[in-house]
Amino acid sequence: MNRTVTTVRTGLNGPGHTRRYPSDTPGRPERLPTTTFPARPQSLRRRPGARLAALSAGAVLLTAGCDAREAYENTFSLGFPDPVTEQGDRIYDLWLGSVAAAGIVGFFVLGLILFAVVRYRKRSDELPRQVRYNLPIEVLYTILPMVIVAVLFYYTAVTQNFVNEESKNPDMTVAVVGFQWNWQFNYQDGDQDPRNNVVETGSPRQPATLYLPTDRTIRFEETSNDVIHSFFVPKFLFKRDVIPGRVNSFEVKIHTPGVFVGRCAELCGEKHDRMNFQVVALPPAQFDQKMAELKAASPGNSPPSGAITQATPENTVEATGGSE
Amino acid sequence: MTLVAGVTAPVQTKRPNPGPGSKIAKVLTTTDHKTIGLLYLVTAFAFFVLSGLMAEIMRAELARPGLQLVSNEQYNQLFTMHGTIMMFLFAPPAAYGLANFILPLQIGAPDMSFPRLNAFSYWLYLFGGLTVVAGFLTPDGAAAFGWFAYAPLNDVIHSPSLGSDLWIIGLLSAGLGTILGAVNFITTIITLRAPGMTMFRMPIFTWNMLVTSILVLMAFPVVTGAFFGLLMDRHLGGHIFDAGTGGAILWQHLFWFFGHPEVYIVALPFFGVITEIIPVFSRKPLFGYKGLVFATIAIGALSMTVWAHHMFVTGAVLLPFFSFMSFLIAVPTGVKFFNWIGTMWRGQISFETPMLFAIGFLITFLLGGLTGVLLASPPIDFHVSDTYFVVAHFHYVLFGTVVFAFFGGIYYWFPKLTGRMMNDRLGKVHFWMVFVGFHLTFLIQHWLGAEGMPRRYGDYYAADGFTTLNTISSIGAFALGVSTLPFIYNVIVSYRRGEKAVGDDPWGFGNSLEWATSCPPPRHNFVSLPRIRSERPAFDLHYPQAAGKVDFHATPELR
Repeated sequence: MNRTVTTVRTGLNGPGHTRRYPSDTPGRPERLPTTTFPARPQSLRRRPGARLAALSAGAVLLTAGCDAREAYENTFSLGFPDPVTEQGDRIYDLWLGSVAAAGIVGFFVLGLILFAVVRYRKRSDELPRQVRYNLPIEVLYTILPMVIVAVLFYYTAVTQNFVNEESKNPDMTVAVVGFQWNWQFNYQDGDQDPRNNVVETGSPRQPATLYLPTDRTIRFEETSNDVIHSFFVPKFLFKRDVIPGRVNSFEVKIHTPGVFVGRCAELCGEKHDRMNFQVVALPPAQFDQKMAELKAASPGNSPPSGAITQATPENTVEATGGSE
Repeated sequence: MTLVAGVTAPVQTKRPNPGPGSKIAKVLTTTDHKTIGLLYLVTAFAFFVLSGLMAEIMRAELARPGLQLVSNEQYNQLFTMHGTIMMFLFAPPAAYGLANFILPLQIGAPDMSFPRLNAFSYWLYLFGGLTVVAGFLTPDGAAAFGWFAYAPLNDVIHSPSLGSDLWIIGLLSAGLGTILGAVNFITTIITLRAPGMTMFRMPIFTWNMLVTSILVLMAFPVVTGAFFGLLMDRHLGGHIFDAGTGGAILWQHLFWFFGHPEVYIVALPFFGVITEIIPVFSRKPLFGYKGLVFATIAIGALSMTVWAHHMFVTGAVLLPFFSFMSFLIAVPTGVKFFNWIGTMWRGQISFETPMLFAIGFLITFLLGGLTGVLLASPPIDFHVSDTYFVVAHFHYVLFGTVVFAFFGGIYYWFPKLTGRMMNDRLGKVHFWMVFVGFHLTFLIQHWLGAEGMPRRYGDYYAADGFTTLNTISSIGAFALGVSTLPFIYNVIVSYRRGEKAVGDDPWGFGNSLEWATSCPPPRHNFVSLPRIRSERPAFDLHYPQAAGKVDFHATPELR
């Protein structure tokens, strides 16, 4: 077996210095003592994989930052839809900031890893300095992440307080009932008789449509009669679970009219993926008109099932899917 | 005397060649921690392949809009069993397999503390696992309520199938095996360390198994109780998880009180594997050993306090507390990263297959950790929870740690397991297939989730605009699936004809005690034990020059 010569470098004399030992070979003061270590088996020797590793990781980075040319927003939104609610705007801003922070930290750490992989790949059989501790650096890399997460937590807390805030007197309230497998939307008109309410009930084949006004605070009060569902409108950047035996509520204020898709986001059985619904956000005047129409169209004090007959032509599966 | 005079037949000195029946009997009755470790590894890998095949079917289904391969119900069964197998029947047993084999070696013990309990744990796991999977053989198919089986979907009205009961009973059995295994590991670590092996000289893998086992003892009994309660509700008329009395949220609390520590139960051992590999191939000691131990303990402690971040969108938990704790757990995890990078810094890094997998782990888990920090923020969860963003996140975390480190650990310890090296060239092919396939599959799922595609949808519409990303992801998944073939081939061929491992330490710079005994070790592991004077006894043994003369301290050590 061939043998190679290895020099022991120590940590006592600072970086780049080797320790001088009393020795009988004074001609090589910087390379002492020379000790022989057994060579590694041929099959284990380094192969030129390091460069490939670096290149591949670079390719991953390119993929991650493929739209880096675009503005800050496009860079860090990662496909987040443009929000249509005031609450969504705040979540969107938090998302952009958090992704930017995570991106910076990520590229820094990735840079350290790749630098170490490329720069410190094995070049000789010399045993490196056997450093075990460096207290100042250890303290630094413990404190710094704490500062980062404290900042992130501050913005999180501020945003979630805003998003979860509920006004005393919302402009309107919609009772949402999730069931296997679609939704029922019950527009509370404020009087004590629920039989007058406009009610929309969907089915897996004919999803419900939820008409909402812009520029008004809308409260949703959700519950379920069977299993857990989750009321999710991607354009609101918001979902809230719909839980049997519990009433969850939240509020939104829409600022942009449009037609959006809504989904169920919690596994609720076989047709979980057929719990789409359609959100139609209308300016207040048009919304009031629509409500009046719906109320007039519903046979007086109609039971909820009557709402199915009101499905509009766009209320089909395809139209719901294409509304995004 | 004449009594013996006539006896002249030669005494038979050679035992008859043991047939296959004898070998099987030996495996069935073994209490040897090394054999049990191998049993765990082989069984866990078989479950991994099975579960991976289910994932391939799901990705094939999702490649294009419309239902082509399976029905919605079958799709629900597939992702339920995929998650269940990976989280219960692959990841913890894979860690237990490595630990069973390596942990006693690392602390200089002849076996585990309770060898028969050890065997019992394995058989509980095997039969529990088979029970869970047997659901596919029943008329209604396997459980289909998701791996976390939310109430009330898990009750007998909404999930009446026999497969659901088999799921519960099987997991009770497998979970009991896991609990007993944890008892065994803790006792072994506390009582069977060799002279000189103080707690702060234990290898990090052993440390992490200690913390993992403590987490198992805190988390698994809770879910075991929940499973018993569920069985009672289903068959004995219990009302524990009735939705009318808050049972839906109660189940979520009980499940995630187990479920989040479970993430660390499966991750910590594999952090340990990585921490074993990196110093050896950097030719340096671990940087910041004690800091890393404290970081591991901190992760273990914090992991018990963050379970409700899985429930941010239920509207039923105290958001700021669980959010802050979830943010905080990023700190010790970050410390680990700097320990690993610090170990490589100014080293002499060589890139044999185990080290490649370790670096693949670093890059993959980095991204998983960063998206984890994003998910600690409830407002962000309001949009991305239960979407593919979360799917991408936890695959980066779990595949990054468990699978990358599992493969790395197998390549790394294969000579210790079998006495032969695995083929390094084939190993590198395997690594690059896994690495490229994995990132192709899961990177774009971040975008898919951010755009709003929910999880657990068997189907989506062409008009949703999810098609392109899903197709790319599926192509990646097939590439990832194929990558397992060279690994299986490599294991089989190397086991039979692989290059013999040279000496006790074929990698040349091993630190922990398993590299100070033969490959594979004798029945009771050590013929003689080296003196243990630091946390790298094997290195001290093989490099006495370095051990005796080098001062390891760049700065005053934490005491």
